[in-house]
Amino acid sequence: MAEEARQEIKADQKINLEGLLCPIPVVRVSQAVKNLAVGGILEATATDPGVLADIPAWARSTGNEVIAMNRDGKIITFFVKRLK
Amino acid sequence: METITVEEQNKTALAREMMEKLVDRRVLTALEVCVRCGTCAESCHYYQSDPKTEHTPYYRAEQVRRVYRQFMDPVGQAFPGWFGAKPTTDEALSRLAEIAFSSCTLCHRCTFECPFGVETAEIMRVMRSVATACGYGPEMLVEIANAAIAKEENADLFRDIFLDQVKELEKEVQDKLGSSEARIPVNQKGARLLYVPLAGAHTIVPQAIIFNIARESWTLSMFDTANYAVFLGDITKAKRIAQRIIKEAEALEVQEVIITECGHGYTAMRWDAPKWFGHPLPFKVRNIIEVIDDYIRDGVLPVNPATNGEPVTYHDSCNLGRKGGLLEEPRRVLRAVVGDFREMTPNRLHSYCCGGGSGLVAVPEWKDIRMQAGKLKADQIRQTGAKTVVTSCDNCRFQIGELSQYYDLGVEVTSVSELTAKALV
Repeated sequence: MAEEARQEIKADQKINLEGLLCPIPVVRVSQAVKNLAVGGILEATATDPGVLADIPAWARSTGNEVIAMNRDGKIITFFVKRLK
Repeated sequence: METITVEEQNKTALAREMMEKLVDRRVLTALEVCVRCGTCAESCHYYQSDPKTEHTPYYRAEQVRRVYRQFMDPVGQAFPGWFGAKPTTDEALSRLAEIAFSSCTLCHRCTFECPFGVETAEIMRVMRSVATACGYGPEMLVEIANAAIAKEENADLFRDIFLDQVKELEKEVQDKLGSSEARIPVNQKGARLLYVPLAGAHTIVPQAIIFNIARESWTLSMFDTANYAVFLGDITKAKRIAQRIIKEAEALEVQEVIITECGHGYTAMRWDAPKWFGHPLPFKVRNIIEVIDDYIRDGVLPVNPATNGEPVTYHDSCNLGRKGGLLEEPRRVLRAVVGDFREMTPNRLHSYCCGGGSGLVAVPEWKDIRMQAGKLKADQIRQTGAKTVVTSCDNCRFQIGELSQYYDLGVEVTSVSELTAKALV
């Protein structure tokens, strides 16, 4: 994801999941997304590479959308949009 | 007089159907032989941390017995008042679900202390299945189980992400070993071992270091071993999640499937899956700790215990230890790879649950319950004077990490594999 594109996404909430291991990143994302209004966007940073597959899988099964995901060294940044 | 809605009647019918299906001879024995002696109370970490009647195993089991009497016992059906049987309303089912999911970690310690060996955890497991079928399974556990199934359904989509991740981790392994020859093989048909990690790098990198030094013939699974449907008592989904690994192992024609340090994942594949599918699996299932123990016995790992000089203690995961029988293997490895190993008391079969087992760590609203129930474990850790706690389960790992912050223990939590890899590089 280009830095410009990433900066264009305006998150309604940001959470830090760095250092947390499976399944806690999914748990925290789920909690945070539930607190957003429909259409709201969550930005999260994590270090567990498991989130690269776990978050899209969780989003797919719950009907939400990962709109962007970026890895910069150990830090993974992703944006989840609440769809319902 | 209580009014029961049509929806409640449907749920009651479903609960009855599930209970009739799941109460086998083993559970029936647990339901019938309890004499309410109360011996189990002291064996339970919930009761030890907060000694109230509702925190005893016999109280919890009694709530389910009332439903059983109502549904399945002719005497209970004829004279419900004798047994305190009540119509199974939404409120009653919801309360039973909460008891089954949040006030019992299915640790089985009470079974070992009971003079009759009553398996309260099995009663609770049935109650979890009934509650899940009726729509009372904790939402977060349902979401995590469904995400695992989504990964399998969209395997092609996730394959590239996974392979990119493995390449990154392989570089890390090469850097640590100082060798560009080190590999994290994937999809290696005919490899001796299929190693099944969790989602995190901490269950891939250290093990890859160990396998590379041992010159093992291995391949990394595309899937992770977590199976949260087990916690829900949802056997249909649990089978689906386990089936991903079984199919992969069969396609790759491996001799053994090696499960990472994950309590429920190990129990699910080694002990539950053959029962779910009604036949033995066509390969051997072992835990990574057993493999490391073999390597150390055979002298293929040049470990240096001085690398891990700080005092270390070991917390027995209930699934690996009491339920899985892996009691001496982790201790033999730890004695080889650390300089100062200290036993926690009590330990092995009598070890107390950390308070986070059976899915509790994944449900945020139960944090207070977890911290309270984990007080006993926190006290035991403090008494060892250890700076590092080793455990072979990621749920225990997260719980003990939180206990450390909550009770100011100042300990780090790690795994047998990580300390072994540290003693190698």
